[in-house]
Amino acid sequence: MAASSDSQASAFSAAELEFLAEDEMIEIVPNMRMDSLNFVSGDFGPFRPQIATQVPLWLAVALKKRGKCMIRPPEWMSIEKLTQVLEAERDSEKFQPLPFHYVEISRLLFDYAREDIQDVYMVRSLIEDIKDVRFHKIGTGLEIISRERTYALRLKNLSAMEANIVRPFVTRALETFYKLSSPEMIQESDHLSNRQPQVTNRGPRRQLKDR
Amino acid sequence: MAKYYDVDDILAEEELVPAVFQHAANGIGLFDSSDDTNKVEAGSKVELPFWLVCELYLRQLVSIRVPPCFDKESKTREEIGADAAHVDLRSRCPYFYELGCKIAPLIGDKTIGPFLLVAFRIRYKEVLIKAHTLTLTVAPKYLTLLTNEEAKLYEAGQSSIAAFKKWRMGGPRLQIAPLLGRKRKPTG
Repeated sequence: MAASSDSQASAFSAAELEFLAEDEMIEIVPNMRMDSLNFVSGDFGPFRPQIATQVPLWLAVALKKRGKCMIRPPEWMSIEKLTQVLEAERDSEKFQPLPFHYVEISRLLFDYAREDIQDVYMVRSLIEDIKDVRFHKIGTGLEIISRERTYALRLKNLSAMEANIVRPFVTRALETFYKLSSPEMIQESDHLSNRQPQVTNRGPRRQLKDR
Repeated sequence: MAKYYDVDDILAEEELVPAVFQHAANGIGLFDSSDDTNKVEAGSKVELPFWLVCELYLRQLVSIRVPPCFDKESKTREEIGADAAHVDLRSRCPYFYELGCKIAPLIGDKTIGPFLLVAFRIRYKEVLIKAHTLTLTVAPKYLTLLTNEEAKLYEAGQSSIAAFKKWRMGGPRLQIAPLLGRKRKPTG
């Protein structure tokens, strides 16, 4: 029970991840005049009409809701970039580098700043496609846990949301595999591995995706 | 005894294990209901929960026979070898892996460990696929095949996917407490 509740507690909810993603910086173009804002997390502004400035996403959304600014979508949310990423994602076994919070940021922008994104439908379906391709990769990639002894998984370029979704499942599975392949269960079945010093051999760390 | 507060660990130790009494014992006739003498003869076969067998075995009062689901000549082994993913392990022993882990070192059967690992390896793949694809309407039928451990794994995968889908579909971001909004009955 203790182990299972731990693995549950370590997972964030989707809403919590969205909250964390709101700290990412984004560029806005204000249409009002305001002095700079001094927060614990830093100073933002000053705001001048038509002069772009960097603010956290939560502030951008708050200003946007009041009609005080226009949000400039980040560079990776352009159609060209996303098409490139999607193609690379389909061709390559590896995961493409995307912002850690790309799922959350794109959703926030689609919800609050639709009119600021060019070709919003196209962008949206591209991001959906990328996400689906990546999720499928994760699903097939996780099969390798069962192939050989695995003690750790390397999740290169996996985004926050993706890692969070597989976390409860993967930790449980790894735990069970670890328990079942512990030396006291698999003793003397292979003499060779027993000869090796146990301390130094911590087992292979697998890539989520074999190359 | 490893995890004192773990309910599943306790329940796993409730599983019945066949054992043979080495000595005759008085006053425990309820273990062996075949006679009314309220005693157990030496050599009589009984099925006792694991926690009791374990203690008795350490005192050399009983000998343990391998439970049918782990036995070398049993059907379960053959079935696992043939198609592990579709064996109904839940009906054989809902705590298959936990009990296996406990009983293997006790009786010193070295084949149980690899057997469990092979079984879980193959069944893991099946759970992985099902957990991330199945819709909720199909799930219950498949769940009846899984042992306790596997069912939990399945649920872990399924619930995180479901939570993500719910978040993505959106809906109100701020939930109104049910207490609010019904202070007054709507008039007309």
